[in-house]
Amino acid sequence: MAALIAASAIRTCLGDGSQTFARLLRGECGVGPLRQGDQDKLNVFAGYHVDLGVDLGVDLGDLVAGPDDPNRPFRAGTLLAAVVAEAARQAGLDVLSGRQRVVALVGTGLRELAAVEDWTLGGPAFPVERLHFGDVVRSALPGVADVVTISNACSAGGHALALAQDLVESGEADAVLACGADTMTQSMLVMIGHVASGRTERVRPFDRDRDGVLLGDGAAAVVVVPPSWPGPASGPASGSVLGRLVATGLSCDAHHETAPDIEGICRSMRDAHDRADRDPSAVDLVVAHGTGTALNDPAECEALRKVLLGAGGAPLVTAVKGAVGHTSGSAALVNVDVALRCLTTGLVPPVAGLREVLDEGIGLRFVTGQPVPAGPTLVQVNAFGFGGVNAVTLLEAA
Amino acid sequence: MTGVIQRVQRMTLSAWSVYLPGVPLGDALGDALGDAASRAISGEWARQDAPPPEQAGAVLGRKGLLYKEPATRLALCAVHRALGLEPGRRPDWPVDPRTAVVAASNLGNVETVAKITRAVTAEGRRAVSVLDAPNASSNIVASTAALWFRFGGPNVMICSGATAGADALRLAGVLLRARRADRVVVVGAEPADEVAAALQAVGSGARQSPLRSGAACLLLQAEPPAEPPADDVEFPQTYGDDVTSSQNRRRAVVELLPEGVPWPREPRSTVGSSGFDPVARWGYCYGAQGVVAVALAAHLAVDERHGVVGVADPGDPSASGARALVSTFEGWST
Repeated sequence: MAALIAASAIRTCLGDGSQTFARLLRGECGVGPLRQGDQDKLNVFAGYHVDLGVDLGVDLGDLVAGPDDPNRPFRAGTLLAAVVAEAARQAGLDVLSGRQRVVALVGTGLRELAAVEDWTLGGPAFPVERLHFGDVVRSALPGVADVVTISNACSAGGHALALAQDLVESGEADAVLACGADTMTQSMLVMIGHVASGRTERVRPFDRDRDGVLLGDGAAAVVVVPPSWPGPASGPASGSVLGRLVATGLSCDAHHETAPDIEGICRSMRDAHDRADRDPSAVDLVVAHGTGTALNDPAECEALRKVLLGAGGAPLVTAVKGAVGHTSGSAALVNVDVALRCLTTGLVPPVAGLREVLDEGIGLRFVTGQPVPAGPTLVQVNAFGFGGVNAVTLLEAA
Repeated sequence: MTGVIQRVQRMTLSAWSVYLPGVPLGDALGDALGDAASRAISGEWARQDAPPPEQAGAVLGRKGLLYKEPATRLALCAVHRALGLEPGRRPDWPVDPRTAVVAASNLGNVETVAKITRAVTAEGRRAVSVLDAPNASSNIVASTAALWFRFGGPNVMICSGATAGADALRLAGVLLRARRADRVVVVGAEPADEVAAALQAVGSGARQSPLRSGAACLLLQAEPPAEPPADDVEFPQTYGDDVTSSQNRRRAVVELLPEGVPWPREPRSTVGSSGFDPVARWGYCYGAQGVVAVALAAHLAVDERHGVVGVADPGDPSASGARALVSTFEGWST
């Protein structure tokens, strides 16, 4: 079985989906000075921030953050509201009439813990329900049957996508918004500052001289529908679907709290290929996780070599975190948006920040410098998170 | 939660535990069941002490608990008890890729987040231990359960507020039906530290009883066949010799019910605001409450021989219609 993707909306430091893809093709990097907390105390000096001056198209009142102050909490919910409203419009979801049962699964790494930090330092108290995203999604999409916040670290969006497909395939929902949202917390930033080998100026995925990860603000919403999807119920949407969601494989390393495990990663890839009933060699493009950390990139390369190259495959490999930072809970779905655009345009953007490929990546066909007009047909999207939670998605043209 | 279930969804419940430090479960249940305090409660787990998080080593063994937050320790204790492991026994079986974990917790890491924030603001990163790094990520309860017990299947952490426990149950069913796992460990855990209590006091949960530190665990398998399954499909047998044989006979069927659907069978008793109300008696486990309620219902159905027990409002008394029915196999098949 498979599901279709009827709409996809993202926000990154490079803009919406179309803007982000255009700037990825040009090799741009959205890094800037860190705007949150005290740079010296955190030992983090740069970040990939989104300006919040977004037109939500809906009135969320005081549920969302203002446009100006990056330290103000509830920024993740603000970005989430924007992409949920946009994706619902794009898909032409008919939620209010009751004819479609629409569910939202929101993947996040850090929830709105920034609000807890703000409160700890003397900021205002807030209703505990604001830690998760139910109210924000219900306001952005009135009539949604259910909202579940899934806190699965850096692969949260991939987990939301897997469960979204399961719900659609079993007929438990007519459409599911698989969402992701994350901004930054000081408690996570300081951990990044702790383990950075130097002063990280930008993320360099798969580079021999990479020196760590930086966070990016981000949000994403992907509308997953069954193959019988009749098209938009209303609105200006074109009625065409963006791509086919073939399968998502899941695994947990059960190996280490923070370090990745090649065997656990391989299991998630094989799970995706098995569920899709595709030979691994059929994958012709990988949109990699590629965090630019000491541990992830070699482990991810080894797993790709083992599973894809080992089966006779020779995929191109690209990654976006050099351009948009690590968008944590939305990272998988940002990658999905990019993968869908690779499928529709045929173009594969280069890995921003990659100069010389690390040893473990030898043999993998990284895209560097210029975009490649490759015309991919089966794209694998990788997402791995703290705690060894892995989600690997396969997409193809509709 | 309530809006999503469209039809009755059944799962097999192979084992369960409730882990509430400071609550003398045996006595409390004995009282509630209308018998004298001398009444013997049947389930072995209900007679066991639940040491508080700082003494979790008595259950889990001493090693490996440094920098494990209270909610994580509570969750590990609940899973340990549900699996029927001997005290101090550290699992050493191979990683099992067919067992998934779905955890429910909202406030597990808020104290750590607050502590790190204060330290970094006052003194900078050198005042912060990198050993707290995993705790900065909100999936720490789910991933630690997988790591500790070597569950290599899908690992999902639900942080959706009062309905988290009920959401976890439903998503466990989704994982089973999609054949992503053969077994799902559902575990709910909440702490009641100062930060958690202060945050929870501002929410709609403030209308509830005070926050109660505790955990519960359910070991679930796919929908049972029409006849009670053969012995060789029982959950805990995968996990070594020290799972007791009595544990293997304690099985039940959980049915998650859509809003407005009448009980498929009339329950002899109910857990929730209209029956035995653990929230009123012991306090509110917030995101874990839905798991606590179903585990208690299983205890009543199987160990106390009630046969069929209803769960009304398992997570949040304000979320009407979030219901489940727990039946023994005998109660279910008749």
